[in-house]
Amino acid sequence: MKDITFGQYFPAKSFVHSLNASVKILLTIAFIVAVFLVNQYYFLGFALCFLFILITTAFAKIPFTKLLSSVRAVVFIVVFSAVLQVFFNKTGKVVFSWRFIKITDAGVYTAIYITVRILLIVIGASLLTYTTSPVEIADGLEFLLYPLKVIRFPVHEFALIMSIALRFIPTLMNETGRIIKAQKARGADFESGNIFKRAKALIPVLIPLLISAFRRADELADAMDARCYAGSKKRTKYKKATFSFRDAIGFITLGGLIAGVVLLNGFFGVIV
Amino acid sequence: MQIKVNDLSYIYSENSKDLYYKALNNLNLTIEEGDFFGIIGHTGSGKSTFIQHLNGLIGLQKDRGSIVIGDFDLSDKKCDYRALRSKIGMVFQYSEYQLFAETVFEDVAFGVKNFFKGITEKETEELVKNALTMVGFDYTVIKDKSPFELSGGQKRRVAIAGVIVTKPEILILDEPLVGLDPKGKGEFISLLKNMHGKDVKTIIIISHDMNFICENCNRVAVFSKGKIFKEGTPKEVFNNGEELISLGLELPLTAYLENGLKKCGITVESDLSVEDFVSSYTKRYKGDKV
Ligand SMILES: Nc1ncnc2c1ncn2[C@@H]1O[C@H](COP(=O)(O)OP(=O)(O)OP(=O)(O)O)[C@@H](O)[C@H]1O
Ligand SMILES: [Mg+2]
Repeated sequence: MKDITFGQYFPAKSFVHSLNASVKILLTIAFIVAVFLVNQYYFLGFALCFLFILITTAFAKIPFTKLLSSVRAVVFIVVFSAVLQVFFNKTGKVVFSWRFIKITDAGVYTAIYITVRILLIVIGASLLTYTTSPVEIADGLEFLLYPLKVIRFPVHEFALIMSIALRFIPTLMNETGRIIKAQKARGADFESGNIFKRAKALIPVLIPLLISAFRRADELADAMDARCYAGSKKRTKYKKATFSFRDAIGFITLGGLIAGVVLLNGFFGVIV
Repeated sequence: MQIKVNDLSYIYSENSKDLYYKALNNLNLTIEEGDFFGIIGHTGSGKSTFIQHLNGLIGLQKDRGSIVIGDFDLSDKKCDYRALRSKIGMVFQYSEYQLFAETVFEDVAFGVKNFFKGITEKETEELVKNALTMVGFDYTVIKDKSPFELSGGQKRRVAIAGVIVTKPEILILDEPLVGLDPKGKGEFISLLKNMHGKDVKTIIIISHDMNFICENCNRVAVFSKGKIFKEGTPKEVFNNGEELISLGLELPLTAYLENGLKKCGITVESDLSVEDFVSSYTKRYKGDKV
């Protein structure tokens, strides 16, 4: 469980870290849009997206190995969908056939396409979480969702719920590890038996975990009450997010990326 | 069963630059059968990491030492951890949070059903009854209660019953006294003393309560930075108080008293248990008078 580093904040002082969180969220969305814009048959746009990732990573002072570890969490999904495409896509020309297995060029193409797409999106999203602490992300979301106040959406409460949830993920992971160990010491066996048996073996872990989550929630609520927390009414912020020239640079770069992708699509669409 | 630990090292998050942590560093320790063994040390000195090795909850890392417990060689790939865990009971810190079943009976019986496959209902009941009585409950009153309606101290006793129910030879406890009131603590200590030597042969206990350690353990090991800083009888360990205090630990009350009296020119020599201290002091005091 410790190996899942996807989405863990990586503190550093860098250009990317110092960007406004709301801006980074918008840029991440824009990046995903750019990835989706890449033409299905001409992959050059992907190269541009990848270049963007590399440059951003360098500017964020994040070790490149971190990118790999963020990918590790989705390896299964990626391999699964690629295999599905390769073996079951029946459109296009058959390039390989053996008994009942027929592999088509379109199948291989789509497999690569989907794989690269998922990987880029995962890496892009994890760049956001690597460079932005959970609290900042929640604050950034709150700012972005502010217009929803008009339709009485409880934006502040929503952001608070988000940041509390994010804050408790590592705590609950630790707790899970602890309880698993305690039950193992009493002979619990999580590794053998069929799927039903294994699911049943989890009960002694899940129940204490739930109880402790409720206990923590209770304690937190009490602590907030004791500090006179009263929702979104007239709250000021300790850390005020500001916009700066750097954020403009971010927008310009991403605008460039999208434009580049669209251009590459069109360019090759015309030539080939 | 004797526990023999040789050159044990353990590194957390070996492959990560920022999380890399050497929690145990060439640790050597032998715990004899029949010991009431105390482990003390500042936070983060590796005590919990160490004891979790003893029943295989933390596996040995390659080429980082060996542990032999009775016939079990933990560095052997074929070591039967299940059998080992039935011999070595482990009570975790805040063990009351591991309860999960609908009734106290079922919760205590959990270990029995895991370790003794094919045991009859009647035998199970016998074992559970034994364990609950041992930790000071009235079996008929407690067995059908929900563990969640008990007080914290009671829950902890149920959790311990759930561990000793399978009659382990060695019982390991990680800071079991934390958060108990004086009465609960007293009851808990006499429970341990009662079990020791009869129901469980060896007790290993981590505690920050020096008075308890000094009063009850026959051997004490001081952990510091993943190593054994010092090991011996309470007298040997606590005699030179300065070095323990510099490690961020305290001394048992009797050691403070002996040191204080020494400064006033009164030398009292005891094994640092309250009883022995009082009798030595009285002897000395009366001797002065004469
Ligand atoms: N899962 C883990 N991953 C990384 N480091 C860990 C992990 N568990 C413990 N550590 C580190 O190992 C060191 C030793 O921890 P351990 O729990 O053994 O200490 P301890 O002596 O039991 O302390 P305490 O008295 O606070 O219980 C600590 O510095 C801790 O930060
Ligand atoms: Mg500990």
